[in-house]
Amino acid sequence: MADFYNSDSEPTTRTLLRRVLDTADSRTPRRLRSAGAGAQRALLETPSSRRLNSGTKTTAKQHSHGARSIGRLAHFQVSGNLEEQTPRTLLKNILLTAPESSILMPETVVKPVPALQVVQPSRKESSRGSLELQLPEFEPPTTLAAGLPAPSRKKQRLRLSVFQQEVDQGLPHSQEHPGNADASSLTSSLNLSFATPLQPQSVKRPGLARRPPLRRAVDVGALLQDLRDDSLASAPSGDSLKTPIATLPTDTVLEDTQPFSQPLVGCSPSVHHFLPHPFPTGTEDAERAMGHGTQSSGPGLQNHKIIEAEDSQGTVEAEEPEGSSEDENTSDRPAELAASTPEFLQAKQLHPIPETAPPPGVAVLSSETLEPASARLPRKPRTAGSRPRQDSYKAGLNHYIKLFSFYAKMPMERKAFEMVEKCLDKYFQQLCNDLEVFAAHAGRKTVRPEDLELLMRRQGLITDQVSLYVLVERHLPLEYRQLLIPCAFSGNSVFPAL
Amino acid sequence: MEEEAEAEEQERFSYQQRLKAAVHYTVGRLCEEVALDKEMQFSKQTIAAISELTFRQCENFAKDLEMFARHAKRSTINTEDVKLLARRSNSLLKYITEKSDEIAQCNLERKARKKKKSEDGNKSSRETAEAEAVDSED
Repeated sequence: MADFYNSDSEPTTRTLLRRVLDTADSRTPRRLRSAGAGAQRALLETPSSRRLNSGTKTTAKQHSHGARSIGRLAHFQVSGNLEEQTPRTLLKNILLTAPESSILMPETVVKPVPALQVVQPSRKESSRGSLELQLPEFEPPTTLAAGLPAPSRKKQRLRLSVFQQEVDQGLPHSQEHPGNADASSLTSSLNLSFATPLQPQSVKRPGLARRPPLRRAVDVGALLQDLRDDSLASAPSGDSLKTPIATLPTDTVLEDTQPFSQPLVGCSPSVHHFLPHPFPTGTEDAERAMGHGTQSSGPGLQNHKIIEAEDSQGTVEAEEPEGSSEDENTSDRPAELAASTPEFLQAKQLHPIPETAPPPGVAVLSSETLEPASARLPRKPRTAGSRPRQDSYKAGLNHYIKLFSFYAKMPMERKAFEMVEKCLDKYFQQLCNDLEVFAAHAGRKTVRPEDLELLMRRQGLITDQVSLYVLVERHLPLEYRQLLIPCAFSGNSVFPAL
Repeated sequence: MEEEAEAEEQERFSYQQRLKAAVHYTVGRLCEEVALDKEMQFSKQTIAAISELTFRQCENFAKDLEMFARHAKRSTINTEDVKLLARRSNSLLKYITEKSDEIAQCNLERKARKKKKSEDGNKSSRETAEAEAVDSED
């Protein structure tokens, strides 16, 4: 045995495992414990000592892991014959799948390999303990954070989104997208009520009512992309600015804020060209309001789901604001949310056209604006402006159309999609126009939360009985409530008294 | 107390009913005119529906106007508020803006006349004679 090891000039984990496979005998652990222990120790010591002498950190790690694994493998190999998946077979699989790399190769190449190998031996060790030899092979290790490439992360995110979608499927119809797209606004002559207010939903499923607006995340991404496209395209005409869906601000309740942070960085150079705008809660991809940091996105979002903090997007203009309070109220979230919303809002403001639109007050970014926008309102559609912009807006609407088709639970014709898109477009344009007009009516050039409140009042979401704060409390997650309601913490008493 | 509230409510209700009746009557008259013009008949239910609709819409208008005035931080309803209310339908908006312009012009003229009167009172008649002479020369 010693000669065997000495002859090996570059002992890698692979070779060591191979040796184990070749030399291990099938015996029961109990009989051979006393006999095997000594052999195992010898095995462990020689490889480990050899490895330590090699010098490289990674390799040492590898070796140590390998030594451990080998020792344990040898120990368990004896008992493995009885089961289908034996350590031997597992090792074989590892050997087959693990890439062969020498210790002396550059770090970049070695890193992923040792990482994987380290993971596998560790897994084996853990499984050994329970005698469950069911090691998943080459599963993207969730434990390895540093070594994981970006795509795996995205996969995880996608899975999360899939999960969310599945969860959303379980939600009642009222929270459908159509509701979001066209908030069942009772405004004047437009009766595009696609969905009833989400109030019953929140009652039925209080636990699920706080669903993070997954859509928001997508919308923001699409919005940012649109922003990039717009910035690349010719300077937009001075049409009314479409506020991106706040929603997403409210929407800002992004489950995963990472994707947004990156795009925001990318858009930062173009940001200074534009005026800041508040966060639309809901949908982002919808058209961007020009010139107005309108919170239309907010109300739209709220309106979608009737202020369900990401509630029915349909109820209020924006889809996103469903403001569904999300269950995840980890300590990290609030900070992230707060940070993401302002970022989000800033991104939304990118749309205003510098030429025509007077610099909208940045004040729009106030938390109040977030509220209506909270993911509610998809970006307001723009009035017929330059062609390239229109396309980007249409792309933004596609998101809502998809939601619509999803909630319809029936196959939809192309014409139906077009009609829905038309309706959404008109609806959002109307919302944006209204906000613009309201602001002008008050002698202002910036859209402020008061304008949004007036809009919501006209839509019938806010009545004498139901105030804005009530809606915020009903539909938005807790973090937004703190942001939007000035005195959210007042009047709280601790019970029992400390 | 309760009786008073009830009586008051009843009074309001009866008042409302009277208003509705008035609206209904006016709508009926208008429909008659339109029927004569288009040579089509209006059924009673139609007229009733239209009058009910008008009444409710008037309530909405009133609330909206009040909201708009408050939004502009005013305590009186202005023509601007009315224009904001009517912006949905283009023809109506156009009509209203025309009318409002007319009214504004009338007001301006009245103001000008008032100013002139006061000025004439202060000025001597010579100036007016000179002005007339100048005009006649032209």
